[in-house]
Amino acid sequence: MEATVAATIQVRGLRKQFGQTVAVDDLSFTVHPGQVTGFVGPNGAGKSTTMRMLLGLDAPDAGSALIGGRPYASLRRPLTEVGALLDAAAVHPSRRGRDHLLWLAHTHGLPGRRVEQVLEQVGLATAARRRAGTYSLGMRQRLGIAAALLGDPPVLLLDEPVNGLDPEGIRWIRGFLRALAREGRAVLVSSHLMSELQDSADHLVVIGRGRLIADTPVAELLAAASGDRVALRTSARTDAMSLLAREGGTVAANGRDSLTVTGLPAERITALLGAAGVPFSEVGSDRATLEEAYMELTRDAAEFRAAEGFPADTARDGQELTS
Amino acid sequence: MRGALHAEWTKLRTLPSTWWLLPAVAALTVALGATATGSVSTDQCPSPAECHEDTVELCLTGVWLGQAAVAVLAVLAMSSEYGTGTIRVTLAAVPGRARVLAAKATVVTGAVVAAGTLAVLGSLLAGRLLLPGNGFGTAALSLTELPTLRAAAGSVLYLALIALLSLGTATVVRDTAGAITAVLGLLYAFPVVALMVADETWRERLQELAPSSAGLAVQATQNLDTLPIAPWPGLGVLAAWAGAALLAGAAMFRLRDA
Amino acid sequence: MTAPAVTPYRSPLPPARDGFPQLLRSEWTKARSVRRWSVTLLAAVVITVFVSLLSALSGSFDVNGSPPPPTKGPDGAPVTDSFPFVHQQLTGDGSITARVSPLTGREGHIAPWAKAGVIIKASTDAGAPYAAVMLTPAHGVRLQSDFTHDTAGSSASGAEPRWLRLTRSGSVLTASESADGKKWSEVGRATPAGLPRTVQAGLFAATPELVTVQRHFGSTSVGGGPSEVTASFDRITVDGDRGTVVDGDQGTGTWRQDRVGADPTRAAGSPDRSTRTSSAWTLTGSGDIGPLIPDADLTQRSLSGAQIGLIPLAALGVLFITAEYRRGMIRTTLTAGPRRGRMLAAKALVLAGIAFLTGLLAAVLSFLLAEPALRDNRPNPASYPEAALSDGPVLRAVLGTALLLAAVAVLALAVGALLRNTAAAVTLIVVVFVLPMVLLAGLPVDAAHWVMKVTPLAGFAVQQTTPRYDFVNTVCLPENSCYPQGPWTGLAVLCAYAAVALGLAMWRLRRRDA
Repeated sequence: MEATVAATIQVRGLRKQFGQTVAVDDLSFTVHPGQVTGFVGPNGAGKSTTMRMLLGLDAPDAGSALIGGRPYASLRRPLTEVGALLDAAAVHPSRRGRDHLLWLAHTHGLPGRRVEQVLEQVGLATAARRRAGTYSLGMRQRLGIAAALLGDPPVLLLDEPVNGLDPEGIRWIRGFLRALAREGRAVLVSSHLMSELQDSADHLVVIGRGRLIADTPVAELLAAASGDRVALRTSARTDAMSLLAREGGTVAANGRDSLTVTGLPAERITALLGAAGVPFSEVGSDRATLEEAYMELTRDAAEFRAAEGFPADTARDGQELTS
Repeated sequence: MRGALHAEWTKLRTLPSTWWLLPAVAALTVALGATATGSVSTDQCPSPAECHEDTVELCLTGVWLGQAAVAVLAVLAMSSEYGTGTIRVTLAAVPGRARVLAAKATVVTGAVVAAGTLAVLGSLLAGRLLLPGNGFGTAALSLTELPTLRAAAGSVLYLALIALLSLGTATVVRDTAGAITAVLGLLYAFPVVALMVADETWRERLQELAPSSAGLAVQATQNLDTLPIAPWPGLGVLAAWAGAALLAGAAMFRLRDA
Repeated sequence: MTAPAVTPYRSPLPPARDGFPQLLRSEWTKARSVRRWSVTLLAAVVITVFVSLLSALSGSFDVNGSPPPPTKGPDGAPVTDSFPFVHQQLTGDGSITARVSPLTGREGHIAPWAKAGVIIKASTDAGAPYAAVMLTPAHGVRLQSDFTHDTAGSSASGAEPRWLRLTRSGSVLTASESADGKKWSEVGRATPAGLPRTVQAGLFAATPELVTVQRHFGSTSVGGGPSEVTASFDRITVDGDRGTVVDGDQGTGTWRQDRVGADPTRAAGSPDRSTRTSSAWTLTGSGDIGPLIPDADLTQRSLSGAQIGLIPLAALGVLFITAEYRRGMIRTTLTAGPRRGRMLAAKALVLAGIAFLTGLLAAVLSFLLAEPALRDNRPNPASYPEAALSDGPVLRAVLGTALLLAAVAVLALAVGALLRNTAAAVTLIVVVFVLPMVLLAGLPVDAAHWVMKVTPLAGFAVQQTTPRYDFVNTVCLPENSCYPQGPWTGLAVLCAYAAVALGLAMWRLRRRDA
């Protein structure tokens, strides 16, 4: 049981206010090991603030943000418990990539060998001796991920790791995150674009204006949004419609020869049509995209659909202006 | 040009540091001037009547400190644009680079002249209030005295020239920390090194060349013959420094990619 | 909601170590991996040495013939030893007693440290070992010996006559004083170096030169000239083996009238006048007995480049923390080491170490290159004490310079952590350390001394090597880089500033969100 706790992130009743702006408001969720958990919300929803509180950088006004059951500041060897990527640009431009990891490794007495390992792991080994100022955005993201992996931690916190990556990089990071989760790590990945998490997240924590909107497995969310719709193409539209309606499906025609069926699984539909000799082609489940599911979800969240939208001067931005 | 001026004024006015630094120019100048005049005494003179202290110059000592705020203000006016990348937006809006620099120089100088006038008048006022308590007369502190007027107006001009020197240096260096270190080194370290030189000829020569010690010769109202350099030529030396810095800045600004 | 049944990840790596040494190593890696910072360190050394050399090499003095070499005291250090001496020979143990009347000066001017009394001296040669007990106008009765030793006796006002006695027993001389010649009290004991069996016991009167200082804004004139003091002695007795009267001059008995050292007033036309009336002597004289304070501290001057060399080191100190704030790297640092106070302590320690070593290199090079040059350019090189790196005061000045630069760097780091802005922090440090050096010469002495005592600038006092003696009046002028405080006190003031600023920075860092 203790081992399970060691690889989790627990947020309970978290609250943080910057002046008049409430950045995070009574937020609670848990991130489990073995999964990639997406942490989604629009810009300024409070994702980065939550992550900073998890990392002990900002002090919560109320509630707790625990890693392995303990507040970050009490961790003796934090890098071996949590790896974090907050801001890929947070590198001194005159320092070589390798040196950046080296000073970080030295805080925990990790050997230089470990630095070579993570550089290899993120595919930066060839650029390790270049100055970080010469890196592209994608290389800096990789450097940041390498830094997060240094202590080989069971928990990973990545803030917008996909930002600025090219399609090849995005594909690489998706596979990489899934592989890390498969090893039994708890991986929390924030993003303001649901589509970025389409093929990588197992679980979603959705927040808006600092509040929790949804805390749900991706599969459930998609199923709920898709409502097990099946799309079907047939030349005998009327026959098919009456047959499927008789069998309990709800059928809608949306074109000269295409139908959308709800309430019947695809296998049953093919069996029924085959038995009745109705010609058909292209039966497939019409799955909602994660983006659609997200829109669906946020439509239900009343406070999220406020008329004025989101203030541009978010808490995070405000912080950066003053620092 | 009017548009460029207006734009530069809006940028300067909306930079929060400006509203710290402009009052700081006046406050620091008056504070140091008041401290210096407050601490002067007739102890080291053979008799109080024989104390030929240059009270005007003493009152205006604060300019030595106030110029630091001027330098930071003028450096930031340029280097903050490079630090944040605003310079590209600026040049997209006003492609004429000479025009941008001229507008910036005008606006910054204007602001510094306003703050500098306040600083100089405040220092003289503080002197009038403090000096009688230390046994000195205040007759010399009237602006109707020509040497005093020269010292006062010269000090304001001095601060304006420091602004131009800093702006030019910032245009060349572009990085805030680097530009500020360079300007402060020129203003403070140069005269300190000059003072250290034991050889009298060389010391005077360096003091004639140092922008701050030469420029501030304009504050002297007594014993002008003992100065390493006369008041107006001294200010001329600073003007030459400022002009050279601005020219170098303009050339670099034109030739280099933003 | 149930967690999926997975085995949480366990790292196969050997366990990591946490601790202060790890933090130190990490900060060291940070510091050495930015090439621009190494260049800054090199610049600090080059600037320090260059400025020191500049102030040394340019000096060329008008030499009007070479002045005579200075008198050397028993320990080889330059001394002033010049006074009218009325004396008798004394062999073996014995004593000399006299009553000294209040001292008078010329035209009402008398130096607080004018002195007259009884003295036992190895010979009449200038610089010979001695011990003397004396009356002064403002500092009571003193026992002085071998130029640098001074013991206070009673604080007799100098308005009353005072009995003084010096007794020799072997190599120890005991000084006593009395108001009436009956009730004696001991002032102290002195052991002059290498006192021969036969010495000269006698009377003396001396007074240091008058010094007048006139300062105006930016110009100082230090004037002065020989002064004069007159003292009368009566009830004079010398006990012990007084030897044979050599010249047989009955008029002066066994007393001999002499002068030790050259007379500074001879040129001014008022030579010593010693007159004898029956059993009393009146001595009028000038000159002084005491250490010769050189007019310039060559070691301190050879290290003057540190005043400019501190600028790159301060900039480095500021950047060491503000560079992290500027790019948000501070968050990475704090996630790796959430104990923020320790992080800043590690930073300060690493920075202090780097600045100390850089400063030490700069100081040693400056001293070795500039000190001989400064000495050679002086008209009278011999009047400055020999200075080698291994000498106590020189070592203190050189090591102190390195410590001073380390403290400046730590102060800069703390200011950077507090302001979180490179430009503001660099400006503040440069203005605090460099601006006063321009202005000090023009400030009134009291204000200048105040600045040199309570601002961080006080740390530069550690570069001074000229010894200070309470009983020697010296003019301490800011334009001569004379700091009113002792070397370590001054450095302690600077270190206190650095410590307080660092404490504030830690407190602030702990409380604020990063």
